[in-house]
Amino acid sequence: MALREPVLRASIACVSILAAVVLAGSCRGGSGAPVLTISGSAVGREADLLQRQIARFEAAHPPLRIEIQPTPDASDDRHQLYVQWLNAHADDPDVLQLDVVWTAEFAAAGWILDLERFAPALSDFFPAAAESVRWNSRPYALPWFVDVGMLYWRTDLMAEPPRTFTELAGIAARSIASGRVPYGLVWQGARYEGLVTVFLEYLSGFGGRILDERGAVAVDSDAAVGALTMMRDQIVAQKIVPSAVLTWQEEQVRFAFQNAQAAFMRNWPYAYPLLEDAARSRVAGRFAVAAMPAGEGGASGAALGGSQLAVNAYSDRPDAAYALVAYLTEPAQMLERAEAVGQFPARESLYGKGPLAAALAIDPAAAREIISRAVVRPVTPVYAELSEILQIHLHRVLTRQEEPRPGLREAADAMRRLFNRTRLAAS
Amino acid sequence: MMPWSRRLATVGSVAIVAAGLIPVYWTLVASLSPEASLFTAPSLIPTALVFDHYRALFAGLAFWRPIRNSLVVAGTTTVFAVAAGSLCAYAIARLRFRGRNLVLAAVLAVSMFPQIAVVSPLFLMLRQVHLIDTYPGLVLPYMTFAMPISIWLLVGFFRQLPPEIEEAALVDGASRLQAFRKIVLPLAVPGVTATAILTFLYCWNEFLFALTFTLGPERQTVPVAIALFRGQYQVPWGQVLAGSVVATIPVVLILLVAQRRIVQGLTSGAVKG
Amino acid sequence: MFLSRPRSTADTRLAWLFAAPALGVITTIAAFPVVWTFWESLHLHDLRMPWLARPFVGAANYREAISDPRAWSALAHTIAFTGGTVTLELGVGLVLALALSRTRPGIGVLRTAALLPWAIPTVVAALVWRFIFESPGGFANALLSKAGLMEAAPAWFSDPYAAWVPIVLADVWRTTPFMALLLLAGLQSIDPSLYEAAALDGAGQLRQTIDITLPLLRPAMLAAVVFRSLDAFRVFDVVYVMTGGGPGTATEPLSLFAFRVLFRDLRFGYGAALSVLVFVVSFSLALLWLRLTRLNEEE
Repeated sequence: MALREPVLRASIACVSILAAVVLAGSCRGGSGAPVLTISGSAVGREADLLQRQIARFEAAHPPLRIEIQPTPDASDDRHQLYVQWLNAHADDPDVLQLDVVWTAEFAAAGWILDLERFAPALSDFFPAAAESVRWNSRPYALPWFVDVGMLYWRTDLMAEPPRTFTELAGIAARSIASGRVPYGLVWQGARYEGLVTVFLEYLSGFGGRILDERGAVAVDSDAAVGALTMMRDQIVAQKIVPSAVLTWQEEQVRFAFQNAQAAFMRNWPYAYPLLEDAARSRVAGRFAVAAMPAGEGGASGAALGGSQLAVNAYSDRPDAAYALVAYLTEPAQMLERAEAVGQFPARESLYGKGPLAAALAIDPAAAREIISRAVVRPVTPVYAELSEILQIHLHRVLTRQEEPRPGLREAADAMRRLFNRTRLAAS
Repeated sequence: MMPWSRRLATVGSVAIVAAGLIPVYWTLVASLSPEASLFTAPSLIPTALVFDHYRALFAGLAFWRPIRNSLVVAGTTTVFAVAAGSLCAYAIARLRFRGRNLVLAAVLAVSMFPQIAVVSPLFLMLRQVHLIDTYPGLVLPYMTFAMPISIWLLVGFFRQLPPEIEEAALVDGASRLQAFRKIVLPLAVPGVTATAILTFLYCWNEFLFALTFTLGPERQTVPVAIALFRGQYQVPWGQVLAGSVVATIPVVLILLVAQRRIVQGLTSGAVKG
Repeated sequence: MFLSRPRSTADTRLAWLFAAPALGVITTIAAFPVVWTFWESLHLHDLRMPWLARPFVGAANYREAISDPRAWSALAHTIAFTGGTVTLELGVGLVLALALSRTRPGIGVLRTAALLPWAIPTVVAALVWRFIFESPGGFANALLSKAGLMEAAPAWFSDPYAAWVPIVLADVWRTTPFMALLLLAGLQSIDPSLYEAAALDGAGQLRQTIDITLPLLRPAMLAAVVFRSLDAFRVFDVVYVMTGGGPGTATEPLSLFAFRVLFRDLRFGYGAALSVLVFVVSFSLALLWLRLTRLNEEE
């Protein structure tokens, strides 16, 4: 038919072009030297640092080559990518940077390698960090750097940091009343993981825990109710915490303190060098850090954050990958990281008298003291779901949709149901 | 039309558009301001203008690469989707054939699955055929929403055209294809252009597929590149906003050129009894 | 409106030929994911616990979804969001399109500027609107206090209902250009001689709009509304960036809930069931709309 030919020809042309594009696009270069891939933070100074350390490792281990696979630092995005890759049993990347709460999940899923056979020495790491890399009593990752929640306080508003919540409330109220600052204390209160870390610190300040020693859910205890009530009262009754914090994550909190709008801030160590930058910060030279205060019957606690390095269980070069992991977590490399980026090393021995003092913005002894109080979040494969349950109820209580005791009881019940359903208790 | 109504219309549209542009203007101002000022009382009038964020974009970050990738992927997807889609839409809109409604329903159904659901099987599939981190590896998944948009919208536009002109041409002995090419398409230029612009913008801003199906800066698109700016806690707001502004420039240029075609029908005189 | 020739086999062959490229591409790329999702939804598949294997559980995931109050809230949020935003967008979009169509054809800059909100990445748009509403430094509260309404201002993001306002505004701001553009294009196909005739008959602007423009614009309007509804039903980015679903779960739409189930809880089976349910609801809505369109066509 006269009409079908042009249409037919056009269709064939389209399909051929499409096929050609597909084929051309899928051609990749062949492989030469053995290549290891490491996935992790590759932004700014961290990227330069990693390149340097990797270059040294390559020089010491020819003909191995290492490539960095940049992944977004936003927790959900990186987690989602890892899930896709590992679910597809990809052999790349060989080394993975994990958030401290992912290790149990990935270990249980069979996605990261059991490092028992390499017999890593975990005794040099902080006990909390060592605890967070174990699943079923075996090590699945090595701690890379640690983060802890700290209380930043204004040295021009008080002589000494408060040790108890009552002291803190008093100082904060006085500072607001004197008109020096609009806010007393700011912390991360948005409905996300950061809220759980803040809650953890209040909780340990009241002597409570999320899971008790036997692994049973303990988040509806009196201590927990006290802690949550204190958090809510700081916003609602004492008015030392602005209700705006309920949508704030780390950066907004940092900026509030940086713009000299708050007497106290609860944040991670990353903020310290940024606050010291006199060009941008209004509080440069006018602040210091301390451990979070405690309440009655509790002790000051610091939520443990940070990252770990693990080996992909499907990697085709597990021994080389482990060598890289071991190298990057050696004391010398950790020290270099502290100097370049300001992240706290995970090895306790580095905090004695030594070069760390020059590298870290805060006194190593003070840092070590805070890290020794680190509280680990429950090490369980279902931590993400657990945390979500807790976040929801914490946020509801703080936004006055629920009362503390019934809210925490609902959360605890939901957590118990979760453990029952998955027949898991914390290891 | 009465001159006062035209003036009212002009004033009205300028007002609405201007109101809608205030956030865009704020983005521009914010991208030129020092970061700390973002979190103090925001103002529409910048106090200090800094170009650091833009310098950082091109100095260290080679931002032109994600822009190139976005242009290629969005452009290719749009061309294929609109070309194949307009043929299919014409068939659905004008030709009576059994299964017409089924085709339309199937096309629409594909776009109704949440992206998060299909991203995993798509990843597995693309990995099997080694299309991860390639241009086709993005264009093909983008078809899952680009094709339905194109077909669905074009069916609407084709149905709006009066069929008499086409019928007259057919009676005069033209073939279907000729009627399609010479009569329907010129009449439908506004609709086809609008569809193309919208498909392009959908692809331009798409994030999840772009993040999952690309591995490195050679193929990552603009939304992914911007997401990679941030550190674990620290977000370089200035850079993010500057990146967004820069990423909008190619789009604005394309829009400026393409939008003329949307109102072409009014002046082309094609729609005459 | 369809051509009045009777259906012929030549027509049918031609139609399938025309539709072949599009259908071919769609089938190639979408068949496996769609089938996979249906198949997954019938299994218990929790990636965190590979020792549970992947047993076939039939409709268990669906039963769980139907009895999950969080899923129902998410559905309610999504339907309310879709209804609200699409209505607003249609209204403002129509006004904007009508106004733009009557301006001098040469003001291309105006039309381009009208589209700019749609060109901004969703993430950035959500961030900007979050800045605007974030009390206490945001514009919204600044405006309200200037107008003396400060007492009435809720803490936007801490209130389960007020939190919807910035979300809806951000989405309407972003996608009204979409509607306006489609409607503007649709307006171009209307024969201006119809207006002239009506004007001669003494009909005013408003009457002309109601009697001529709106009815003739209906196919384009319906296409735009259906597509925007399906799109709004899958809202994710805006809510994720602005509130993360909070306060609590007060603003969590279905897609965000499914995302959490799939990628945070790693429950692929349950997540797939949720996705199928999203599909079913969307499809039903679309069929409903199509039925309405068909009714109009037969007039």
